[in-house]
Amino acid sequence: MADAIDGGTEGDDGAPADATTSGDRAHRDSRSLRGRLERRALVALAAATVGLLLVVFYYPVATVFVDSVLVEGRLTARVFFDILSDPFYFGEPARLLAGDSLVSVVEGLLSPDRRLGIVGFTAYQAALSTVASVALGLPAAYLLARFEFPGRRTLRSLTILPFVLPSIMVAVGFVATFGQNGTLNAVLGALGLGRVDLLFTLEAVVVAHAFYNAPLVARVTTAAWESVDASAVETARSLGASPLRAFRDVVAPQLVPSVLMGAALTFVFTFSTFPIVLALGGFQLATVEVFVYRLIRDLEYAEAAALALLELGISLGLLYAYLRYEARHTVRSRGIRPLARRPLVPPSPSPRDLLLRVGLAAYAVVALAVFVAPIASMLLASVSGPEGLTLAHYRFLVERQTAGASFQVRPWDAVRNSLLFGVASLAVALPMGVVVAVLTTRGYRGRKLVDAVAMAPLAVSGIVVGLGLLRGLVFGVEVGGTRLAVGGAVAIVAAHAVAGYPFVVRTVAPGLDGVDRTLVESARALGAPRVRALVDVELPLVWPAVVAGAAFAFAISVGEFSATVVLASGTSQFTMPVAIERFIGRRLGPATAMGVVLLVVTSVSFLLIDRLGGDDVGF
Amino acid sequence: MDRRTFLTAAGATVAASFAGCAGLGGSGESGTGESGAGETATGETPTGTTTGDAGGDPTLVVGTYSALVDSPSTSPGAWLKERFESEFDARLVWQTPSNELNHYVERRTARVDIEADAYVGLNTDDLVRVDQILDDPLFAEAGDVAGRDDVKSGLQFDPQGRAIPYDTGYISLVFDGTSVTAPETFDGLLNEEFAGDLITPNPASTATGRAFLLHTVKQFGADGYLDYWSDLQDNDVRVLGSWSDAYSAWSGGEAPMVVSYSTDQVYAARNDADLQKHRIRFLNDQGYANPEGMAIFEGASNPDLAREFLGFVLRPAVQGEIAVRNVQFPATTTAELPEDYAELAHEPPEPVTFTYDELKGSVSGWVEDWERQYASN
Repeated sequence: MADAIDGGTEGDDGAPADATTSGDRAHRDSRSLRGRLERRALVALAAATVGLLLVVFYYPVATVFVDSVLVEGRLTARVFFDILSDPFYFGEPARLLAGDSLVSVVEGLLSPDRRLGIVGFTAYQAALSTVASVALGLPAAYLLARFEFPGRRTLRSLTILPFVLPSIMVAVGFVATFGQNGTLNAVLGALGLGRVDLLFTLEAVVVAHAFYNAPLVARVTTAAWESVDASAVETARSLGASPLRAFRDVVAPQLVPSVLMGAALTFVFTFSTFPIVLALGGFQLATVEVFVYRLIRDLEYAEAAALALLELGISLGLLYAYLRYEARHTVRSRGIRPLARRPLVPPSPSPRDLLLRVGLAAYAVVALAVFVAPIASMLLASVSGPEGLTLAHYRFLVERQTAGASFQVRPWDAVRNSLLFGVASLAVALPMGVVVAVLTTRGYRGRKLVDAVAMAPLAVSGIVVGLGLLRGLVFGVEVGGTRLAVGGAVAIVAAHAVAGYPFVVRTVAPGLDGVDRTLVESARALGAPRVRALVDVELPLVWPAVVAGAAFAFAISVGEFSATVVLASGTSQFTMPVAIERFIGRRLGPATAMGVVLLVVTSVSFLLIDRLGGDDVGF
Repeated sequence: MDRRTFLTAAGATVAASFAGCAGLGGSGESGTGESGAGETATGETPTGTTTGDAGGDPTLVVGTYSALVDSPSTSPGAWLKERFESEFDARLVWQTPSNELNHYVERRTARVDIEADAYVGLNTDDLVRVDQILDDPLFAEAGDVAGRDDVKSGLQFDPQGRAIPYDTGYISLVFDGTSVTAPETFDGLLNEEFAGDLITPNPASTATGRAFLLHTVKQFGADGYLDYWSDLQDNDVRVLGSWSDAYSAWSGGEAPMVVSYSTDQVYAARNDADLQKHRIRFLNDQGYANPEGMAIFEGASNPDLAREFLGFVLRPAVQGEIAVRNVQFPATTTAELPEDYAELAHEPPEPVTFTYDELKGSVSGWVEDWERQYASN
């Protein structure tokens, strides 16, 4: 498969790919081992990537999904039919399969008491969450991409933080911020305004989803904005276009693909949301994933697997639609000279400047409430006890470290493991992501389908992945009387890399697609093997995207939970999120203290990644 | 080393029974390496001095849920391990797979060795679920376990004699007495004055929430509990996710009442909290008992040592210690509890629970019907 794709690659590059020339080149390169290695490197990497995905993802996940069609040893579509024709899951449209007429189904859909079904409701809340995330993410992108102010780069590095926070921490932060006795009500009370009752509503869930995903939208949009070529805008302006017109005609078309990418990913993530819905909303807002979890817990595998597969199908369908769009709308020329940033405090403000600043200030207030207040509440919770401020929860961490038994989680070990796994999985995810990005930005039929399938680790139910890894890796397969099984640190790193690499693909692929093909062709014509052209020509051109992908891959690894607990060979391999989960008790202090440790460790890591990545890069 | 010499006889017994099991398990699926170790130990045991060194102490692997060994407050795991090891010259290894009992069900289904000898922490509902899905037995009959007759008869939940209860919790309301006085009956919860006042963990996927749901089935019958829940939902009951979601929302003051355990004041007192804010209410003077049991895996490599362990757990002193450290009630009539334990840990006037036979074939339907009514969108 890899060979075929590589063949397509060469053809597409315009490099001569017929047998004679390849033969000549092979002859030339055989003189040096390095040349041979380099020539095969891309194929080898692609093969390794496919192999890793098969072993650590597709095969394990298949061991669960097969339960949906193989019931008691017999192949059946019954389970799918039952779900699809059940109004509880699919609302009014399900009645079509149950034999109702199209007319009555349409009538049902138009009536005020229509049933969305669990799947319909899940999509509805995901759509709302996507709108909220885009609405909260875009102003942040505008601020970060277009204005200069002290701490801008640090702020941009830290926007990825929500990504790594376990849902329990977010729930704690949100209850403390938006709850009956929360900070928001205290502030409103002090201002003489009425109290608000935000918790256990759809709104609370949507805001929490925005907390997680608006930063994602902001990061990808910021990067796109920073690569808009200033000269294009200047040309438009010199031709008499108003600033607004120049934005609409020149800047916006370059931002829209990134905004849509952020939106598509947000939809996919919130479509499979699980703990946060029940912690901040309640069971009346149960999503598909809530049922997948319950069914698997009760060992009702057939229905769970079918439901999770349908969930995956919907997510992948959406991703596929986005990827088709992305392919048609890639901006071919990337900016060489980015737009100059404006000072946040203008030296001589015009009325328009002032209006803008007022808008940004209003946004800052909202951002403080949605992003900063919950995190600040976590910090506060970690030093709060029944009698005011206390360091008891941190003392607990120290005690657990020094006196904990071998079967208990030790905080420092968890920190160390998180960092080790994070760095190692980043080192694996980066080449994987780059290779897949190369393979999916070359012209061949169905490449977007390959791309969508390669994105599956983003969209498969985490509960299914966990169970699949247990069945597929930990239990292994029996080959000739011996059982081949994988577990422990290596498997954890592999699983984290698989979970994180789609981000590398998504950040790197649009850039690679936009690289001027003649540059690559020149390199190839001068005898550079494909991988050399990639490393020497293309990657430096899209370096900011590579660093951005690296940050996401690291973040995914640090935040990962379900694969880690399944694959760890013992408590000594547990990571920070697992430690947090283990430290949850009647009092949340110990867990929040560990959560703060996670916050600090990851903040420092992200600052380092962005700094090491080079000046002024990163999404 | 002193204790080794002192326990020579016991050591010999353990080693012998260990070898016996190895013999039996020889044709089985697992643990040839361990059997070898066991035999070596027996071979050199006559003097009784080298049991530990020659083949290593026998190892007992016990699966459980993580809070039993690793919770931030207290958990009995470390204490049990230390006591058991010092007395039996054996090594006790705790295993805490993330999906708990289901982990072993998965292993059995996939026909992969189960390396644990026993499991601690299964309830009636778990046993029903396991029996329903597995054709091959997961647990063996417990057999001759010392102290087994001391277990309170009302708590015995396995008609097939595999699981032996070691403690029980009672599900009750916990309420903040400074802001509300909880109603005394289930019907009282439907009063308008308690609108939005009750939080419960999810009945579909938490043991606590499910016990509360089962209590309503017990109270209103399989035909009536859904109507009750419909009224409860109209009165704005909050069904959150995990027990921790519910309890922390309650602690944060989101609602004055939560479905939790009747031992809540034990924790509150330990943290010097105001007990008035941690009051207990048994609705209709009943508490739903959720006994936790332990059982030996079918095909365990050390079944005799596992039986010793089960007997150890049922000893009066150990029962008391587990109850205090796990903050539950002992399962035996002979447990030695601190005198003041009952002051803070409340037992319901009338414990109720469903038996294994009542749950079998019914519980999944009850849960599913509840889900479909409550989450209908």
